[in-house]
Amino acid sequence: MAKAATFLLLGLGLVSVTNPAFAQQPDSAAQALKHLSIEQLMNLEVMSVSRRPERLAQTASAIQVITQEDIRASGASSLPEALRLASNLQVAQLDSRQWAISARGFNSTTANKLLVLIDGRTVYTPLFSGVFWDVQEVSLADIDRIEVISGPGATLWGANAVNGVINVITKDAKDTPGVALSGGGGTELRGFGTARYGGQVGSAARYRIYATRFARDPSVLPSGLDAVDDWHLGQGGFRADWDASTISHVTLQGDLYDGRIGQPSAGDIAVSGRNVMAKWSRTISETSGLTAQLYYDRTNRDIPGTFGEDLDTYDVDLQHQTRLGARHDLVWGLGYRVINDRITNTPALAFLPAHVARQWFTGFVQDEIALVPDRLHLALGTKIEHNDYTGFEIQPSGRVNWTLSPAATLWAAVSRAVRAPSRVDRELYAPGQPPYFLAGGPGFHSEEELAYELGYRHQRGSFALSVATFYSRYHGLRSLEQVNPPAATPIVIGNGQDGESYGAELTAGYWLTSRWRVRAGYTELRVHIWPNPGSTDTSRGATESQAPDRQLFLHSSIDLPAHLGFDAGLRVIGEIARPGVPAYAELNARLTWQPTAKVDLSIVGQNLLNPRHIEFGAPGATRREIERGVYGLVEWHF
Amino acid sequence: MAAQGVRASEYQVKAVFLFNFAQFVDWPAEAFPAGDTPLVICVLGNDPFGEALDQTVRDERLGSRPFQVQRYQSVDEIKICHILFINRSEGARPEVILAGLKQRPILTVSDADGFAQRGGMIRFVTDRNRIRLQLNLTATEAAHLTISSKLLRVAEIVRRTGS
Repeated sequence: MAKAATFLLLGLGLVSVTNPAFAQQPDSAAQALKHLSIEQLMNLEVMSVSRRPERLAQTASAIQVITQEDIRASGASSLPEALRLASNLQVAQLDSRQWAISARGFNSTTANKLLVLIDGRTVYTPLFSGVFWDVQEVSLADIDRIEVISGPGATLWGANAVNGVINVITKDAKDTPGVALSGGGGTELRGFGTARYGGQVGSAARYRIYATRFARDPSVLPSGLDAVDDWHLGQGGFRADWDASTISHVTLQGDLYDGRIGQPSAGDIAVSGRNVMAKWSRTISETSGLTAQLYYDRTNRDIPGTFGEDLDTYDVDLQHQTRLGARHDLVWGLGYRVINDRITNTPALAFLPAHVARQWFTGFVQDEIALVPDRLHLALGTKIEHNDYTGFEIQPSGRVNWTLSPAATLWAAVSRAVRAPSRVDRELYAPGQPPYFLAGGPGFHSEEELAYELGYRHQRGSFALSVATFYSRYHGLRSLEQVNPPAATPIVIGNGQDGESYGAELTAGYWLTSRWRVRAGYTELRVHIWPNPGSTDTSRGATESQAPDRQLFLHSSIDLPAHLGFDAGLRVIGEIARPGVPAYAELNARLTWQPTAKVDLSIVGQNLLNPRHIEFGAPGATRREIERGVYGLVEWHF
Repeated sequence: MAAQGVRASEYQVKAVFLFNFAQFVDWPAEAFPAGDTPLVICVLGNDPFGEALDQTVRDERLGSRPFQVQRYQSVDEIKICHILFINRSEGARPEVILAGLKQRPILTVSDADGFAQRGGMIRFVTDRNRIRLQLNLTATEAAHLTISSKLLRVAEIVRRTGS
């Protein structure tokens, strides 16, 4: 009788399976679930404590997911290389260690409209609102997946998600048990080795520790001479995951690194850093959960002759989600970040004041409304941020997701995002003493974006297709203004430019056979930037956005007999008209042999089509060229 | 509409799916050497279920057969097994495991990406917080398993073989 009643109530959706009573007695939940039909089970919403339930903001956006398998197959040896797998990113390598990475244009070495998170930790320098890619050394084998969202993600994600979010998610410690050793070397990636051990404490807590080290060959100059930018880095770290109870999960993780990069003069660049993070998530009820995280991050960078920086970041975030009534899913959060940034100025350039402490307060709220449950969903939300430069900034968005059929989804979004000032915009002076040739703009305010997006996603069996189109309008883009026109110098940083961008991002994947998978990605992009009346900037955006009009990616992964696997990735990148980077095509390939289940032997070729090619930067004697590279790799798990 | 507001833990639900599969699959006679041979659900690699799987099958029977849960670290250790769940981390490269099974009549299940396309039989796909099933019929046929039409109706059938 009681069983029959439970069944009936479950079927009608009137009682929840993980209500507090069930949570304490999982046994009775199992009993109740057994009375459901397969169809009912398939209709049940599931949640896992360790994984954030998927939010509409992600499904109704231009998201591409790079899986662990994709990373492996690509032979990527660093995080930026792995990011080439997302065709909605513009990724260009400048030299042995510097990368320009952006979404929807606005690319440069100091690209400033992208938010990059590693397990929820922002890897971002308030110096220029961008990322120093040479110190984001994630152990690639420990990555679960990388979510790459192009377009504004400002409402739900942290600051700076103007044109995209890269979210690197590492594996739970329970997925990395035992010993894993890997190592190898080659022509460009000279030598590398990684050791990882995963263990267990009691039945509910697991951990892993790792250490990795590599040495990379310098890039070359157009003259064929060595660019003396050889690069060495060592890093170690840990992650521990503890299922404190069936409804709460705790993660502790940290990393420590130290590296050196060659320079043609003035001595090696020294980089070092460390971070530690604690995360706690708790399921309050079947429809409500709480997440809290806290981290500390320190980075040190000393570029002799240019500048030095010591940066401390402290960050705390809280997020709560709950269901209100039958149709509303509410998620809201609060965050606080404080940074302490100390610059060592040089005769070449200065940040004034050299030492600053800055803080950010953020709050966001988003309501997901089931207009027609399971068919038509609307998400409305806003982020409110307070920064020390411009005060309050409001970044609202509206997203709609329409499930046309189990295979097909249509989505659309309108969002406002801002790129708040960074130290470069207001506090940079060159040279290091007056008279200044270039000065930060004391009145520099936030750059604003209004973005319209429309997308379609289709997934059926072995075939997946996604199309995202967009149009964005920008106001107050950074400009370089002449102080005493028509004199070309001095110049001061201003907000004298407006712009627009539009384009489409396509991806498709197909399993030709059970052993052969092919994927394609194509992005078409136009960015136009113009000076506003009164502006003396004549660059027409050439310093703010350097991105190709189109790029094409083709990947093939095939499992061959005799435990062999062959993967190849071709990329064809259009020219960057200004400052003049020619179009190029390059091929990466990987051949893997698995003689036993415990050992993988691979040979990886990178940039195989040309002995040398150029991906970024203005023509000149110091523009670095990227060489063809080959490396061998041995992996051993036990 | 019916499921609005209901959320269960992911692996609790997956455990119940595994239990249900027993009713929708016919194994060849050789899979059950004796009339009271238990129906064995095995987990290979790390066990994501915790207590959920044991609790689901406790005191259950399929006809005269009791259910049993076995856990294995390596495919070579697997003795009697009817439904094999392969953890996501192992299931991402399933070829070695599947080759190790040598087309024994074992229903292979995993939540790893591409599992059904790569020769596995059933993959749990989590889509908007709901669990869907992908089924590779060629693989089940090769192992001489007969799948009930009830399961075929709700699963998404994936083409191509996994030999």
